[in-house]
Amino acid sequence: MSRRRWAWISGCVAALCVAILIADYLAALRRPLDSKIPAERLRITAARLSRKQRDDRAAWVLMAAAAAFLACARQGARPKVPKPARLAATMVRRPPPPAVAPVAPEIEFSAFVEDAIARLGRGKESAIPLLQAIQAHYRYLPDEALRHLCALTEITPAEIAGTSSFYARFRRSPVGKHVVRVCHGTACHVAGARQITDELRRYLAIPEGADTDPARQFTIDEVACLGCCSLAPVLMVDGRPAGKLTPVTACEALRDDV
Amino acid sequence: MIEIRIGLGSCGVASGAGPVRDALEGAAHKLGARGAIKAVGCNGMCYREPMVEVAGPDGQVTLYSHVTPQTAPLIVRKHLRRGRFPGGEPRPDSGTSERIVLENCGQIDPLRIDDYIARGGYRALATCRAELSPQQVIDTITAAGLRGRGGAGFPTGRKWAMGRAQSSPVKYVICNGDEGDPGAFMDRLVLESDPHRVVEGLAVAAYAVGAAEGYFYIRTEYPLAVERVRAAISHAQQRGILDGVRLEVREGAGAFVCGEETALIQSLEGKRGMPRLRPPYPVEKGFRGQPTVINNVETLACVPWILRRGAAAFAALGTPASRGTKVFSLAGKVNRGGLIEVPMGITIREVVEKIGGGIRGGRQFKAVQMGGPSGGCIPARLADTPIDYEALAQTGAIMGSGGLVVLDDRDCMVDIARFFLKFTQAESCGKCTFCRIGTKRMLEILERLCEGNGRPDDLEKLETLADYVGRASLCGLGQTAPNPVLTTLRYFREEYEAHLHQRRCPAGRCPALIRYGVTDNCIGCTLCAQACPVGAIAYRPYEKHAVDDRLCTRCDMCRQVCQDDAIEVI
Repeated sequence: MSRRRWAWISGCVAALCVAILIADYLAALRRPLDSKIPAERLRITAARLSRKQRDDRAAWVLMAAAAAFLACARQGARPKVPKPARLAATMVRRPPPPAVAPVAPEIEFSAFVEDAIARLGRGKESAIPLLQAIQAHYRYLPDEALRHLCALTEITPAEIAGTSSFYARFRRSPVGKHVVRVCHGTACHVAGARQITDELRRYLAIPEGADTDPARQFTIDEVACLGCCSLAPVLMVDGRPAGKLTPVTACEALRDDV
Repeated sequence: MIEIRIGLGSCGVASGAGPVRDALEGAAHKLGARGAIKAVGCNGMCYREPMVEVAGPDGQVTLYSHVTPQTAPLIVRKHLRRGRFPGGEPRPDSGTSERIVLENCGQIDPLRIDDYIARGGYRALATCRAELSPQQVIDTITAAGLRGRGGAGFPTGRKWAMGRAQSSPVKYVICNGDEGDPGAFMDRLVLESDPHRVVEGLAVAAYAVGAAEGYFYIRTEYPLAVERVRAAISHAQQRGILDGVRLEVREGAGAFVCGEETALIQSLEGKRGMPRLRPPYPVEKGFRGQPTVINNVETLACVPWILRRGAAAFAALGTPASRGTKVFSLAGKVNRGGLIEVPMGITIREVVEKIGGGIRGGRQFKAVQMGGPSGGCIPARLADTPIDYEALAQTGAIMGSGGLVVLDDRDCMVDIARFFLKFTQAESCGKCTFCRIGTKRMLEILERLCEGNGRPDDLEKLETLADYVGRASLCGLGQTAPNPVLTTLRYFREEYEAHLHQRRCPAGRCPALIRYGVTDNCIGCTLCAQACPVGAIAYRPYEKHAVDDRLCTRCDMCRQVCQDDAIEVI
């Protein structure tokens, strides 16, 4: 007989025992009749005794059946189908599932870069607006796009490397799905921005030295000042600000985004 | 006509003004008065956000703070249909006789040019072009005594006159909106709430200097400001107001040093934002090698008002050397944080206590930090210092761009110095050795102190290094980088000594020098045990809890959740 079947049987037995126990419990709750007839008294006492014995037995059977049920049900259960990786999976404090190395999709760079150059010009002065356009589009600066940019404009690779590494907003590695900018301005610092960042990193299980969680959902970016100082501490999730945070509400601010 | 204004600056949005606006509009729509709702910028009272202001037909303004989507329809009904809703108060006194820069903030819809024109906007520009010669404009600004509001306080009239005197046919004007000081948000608020005022100011500057092109350089952390200035320029262009001058918005890319004018020019030219030696000053040889006049947002925002109301009206405010008003962003441990505009010469104490409403939580006022990473900390005992360029410079701090962060007795001054130095160290462009490496060495000393590993000669070394860095750096960033350290050393030396000799943080702030403990107030409610992210507090209901010091990360969560003040910092 399969384990599944045993689980069913033991489950039914357990349910039956529970039913007996509940019925007897309800019967015991009734106020006992205070009979003056000795024979009647004896009968009542005997009935109570037999009910007690029955209950004892039912309890033992229930324990055994429950143990059998648990043993069979756990092993007999069908293997769980893994759910699709959802954002919620990163929101628990458990270490999230091992990261799958993000496969860089084959992106067509030339069309967008050419379009941006047509809009913004190809002189050296357009370097920053062009980099901003590329970053706004791809959310980071892919090497391919930069090579393409150098080929099509007057800007040299050295200048691109210099400019893109100088400014804090440009990044050369991909970001997570959401970018969380935690303000570290003066007002936020005295209001506890350090604790907020630490808690968010713990909460998202971001490893030491990295800024993105293994599931590539959230990137934590510490910025100088978001200019909402009277609401300190402040963070901005994808351009949406949230203020007057505590470590707990900061984590909740991310949850809203799911 | 009743007007219901909802503040939708960044601060408003951060407090949840978006849903409130939807609720207001929904309620007004039901009453057939959708037009009564107006989305405005911030009027400066950020601590009240989300905030609704109702201007009645008689000009009386009622103010509602902390409005929620649930109470919003009640407010609409109260004013449009005589419904009942308790609360609401007249607008409090802003603390200054006159608002110049913030005149329209929170009163007009920043995206509607007609609102601005209805309040006298673009009249100054029209007057200039029709009646005044560029020299007369410069004379007016000089007579008003306007000084640069970016921090250094260079007289604006003189700068314009120098720009005008250049013989080059091509000149540029630039509005410096790269407000990088942490703790300052005046420029953001003005650009978000009243962008046309700054556009007009820049157009007047272009007229006075003789430039045909102007640029706004706005930091990229202010997406809303960028968007609104772009919209303002295109609306004004459509009206033909900006004929003869071409204005353009450029976004920064996140470099604090680009607030320095020569670095800003490098950045506009697409290069790394590294300052260069002055002279030649930008006003002689700036953007694209041509004469360039660079003014701060707030300076330009004063210009239309001066031309409209006359130089004498402006000069009547403030002190003889520092005229007019100054906008400060008041933040930190005060009850009423936000943007304030005060006449020059007001004392720090008045700002903190009268306008800011005192220290939050009834704690003790310890110091104000003024001028961001270039400024310093002014202790409470010097709080009667008047706010003007010279008096502040004497204390070792600077006026700066207007960030004013109030600190209470729980703020560690060594930690504050370390914070600012960490900032300048990270933002140093690396050109000058002393700024690049000197600040790094200083930061190492401060970090040592905060961890309780200070060495006996650290304070002397810190002072020597501060002196070298200040003298051997090219630009303002490096020259002023030691200021936060020097002022805190000067006024709070005993705190440094406590960190150094006793390995103790008097304010209970430096993680390495403090421990968390539980007092007898503990009622065993387990709130702290539930909140602790690292499980350093065992879950023992109805028993006095204990913090396991080996696991504790000093995240302060337990102290924040405790209802009985039973967690103490030792």
